[in-house]
Amino acid sequence: MDVIQVERVRKTFGDRDALAEVSFNIPKGEIFGFLGPSGAGKTTLIKILTAQLNPTSGQAKVFNQPAETMRQSAQKMRFGILTDNSGLYERLSVEENLELYRKLYDLPPSAVDQVLQFVNLSADRKKKANLLSKGMRQRVLLACAIIHEPELLFLDEPTSALDPVNAAHIYKGLRYLNERGTTIFITTHNMAEAELICNRVAILYQGRIQTIGSPKELKRQHRENVIQVDLINGEAHELPVDGVTADRIADWMKQGLIDRLETKEPSLGDIFIKMTGSELL
Amino acid sequence: MSISYKRVRAIFVKDYKEFSRNYALSIMLIFPIILALLFRRAGTTLPGASGFLFNSSFVLLTCFAQACLIAEEKERSTLRSLMMTPATTMDVLLGKSSLVFVMSAVVIAISSLLFGYEPVNVGAFVTGIVLSIILYTAAGTICGLFSKTLLEASLSILPVAFIFMGAPWGAVLAKDYPVFQVLDYMPSSQLVHLLSISGTGYTTADLTQPLLIILAWTVGLTIVSVVLYQKRLKDE
Repeated sequence: MDVIQVERVRKTFGDRDALAEVSFNIPKGEIFGFLGPSGAGKTTLIKILTAQLNPTSGQAKVFNQPAETMRQSAQKMRFGILTDNSGLYERLSVEENLELYRKLYDLPPSAVDQVLQFVNLSADRKKKANLLSKGMRQRVLLACAIIHEPELLFLDEPTSALDPVNAAHIYKGLRYLNERGTTIFITTHNMAEAELICNRVAILYQGRIQTIGSPKELKRQHRENVIQVDLINGEAHELPVDGVTADRIADWMKQGLIDRLETKEPSLGDIFIKMTGSELL
Repeated sequence: MSISYKRVRAIFVKDYKEFSRNYALSIMLIFPIILALLFRRAGTTLPGASGFLFNSSFVLLTCFAQACLIAEEKERSTLRSLMMTPATTMDVLLGKSSLVFVMSAVVIAISSLLFGYEPVNVGAFVTGIVLSIILYTAAGTICGLFSKTLLEASLSILPVAFIFMGAPWGAVLAKDYPVFQVLDYMPSSQLVHLLSISGTGYTTADLTQPLLIILAWTVGLTIVSVVLYQKRLKDE
């Protein structure tokens, strides 16, 4: 079953197309990455899917219902969202912030303890929000978004400006949530992040989806059929994948000349540049 | 649109905690009390004193506090986060307004006692005060929604202060300048009329007319604040 269905969705602001006829589906239980540079339209799509914006044309469905129904309280119980616009109450402690969300979602008191353990912040529960580091803050925001164990989680650049350790904490949490059945829609301009956690990714550029597929599939599709061979004498060879190359490599191996041998596989970043002719910003 | 008592109470409790730790804002609670003590020395018979006391308290406490609470939520993006929870527009607006309502009611009651104001009709007085608190809370919500920061919110109440607090004084000039007659229909002017009724020689119409005009303003501004809230927090 598809949790998200987007069909020819277009969104214009003035005479600028933020999204131009975007279509894709996300089945239940998937971690789907929406990749693209700043201003590509990623946040606009999250806003459409969470009923903060109406599309200019096309149809977006969440849980098999038109996205506009996400304004209803019953539907809001089913999803969680973390965006760079999410905020904390600075004068309240971590626990008090979560207590508010617990009450708004009408959850039992144990939900706060559980989510604090989940984001590894039990020891800092009494800390005021204005005293938290950037990484801790992001984890509290994630806790607010997942306290009700949503079926669907929207994450807009969840690890931007986080150090690798804090980012790893977030990834671990997301994988755990996903294993428990949460479908995750994540936008990022960090290709390495997408490669690490996403089952499928779509590359968005200037409001259009350039390509879509699993990171493995995309790499296979865009792989250059060459083998990079570095010899111990310092020579480097880029050879086509064919019988002649196989014989040459066999010879070098017999003579013990090979230092390093690898197929040239593009990263998602390379694929992005290839497809758009543009660097990620 | 549904309203959940649990969610309204959750927002009220959160606002209470935030407000009690925000000394820059909570200090405004003592302003009406200081004003009441000052006017008490001048005596309750001082013309316009009661009207000035209550109208200025509504602007400087009710309207100001509400504008700051809304603007701060906007500035820190917490209002948008609240919108993404099951809390409805009415849950959020009621939750946020109820703290200001309770605070204003308590402080105005204390100020009235300290000032020594004795209404000729308690029912009409309480109704007028309750309607005015709702009206100035709605005005504060509108000011907060038009502001992006706390600083902007504090400045945005200046027009409200000028128009609403100044109306009863401006209406005095109506004899010389008929155009100022319109100021007599401002809720602050009507409250002054209501508060200045004295003795036993008043009619029911003397009480109901100002109350109805204040009610019309309250309904109008409340509708505007709800519609504006929904529009300002949409990204179209």
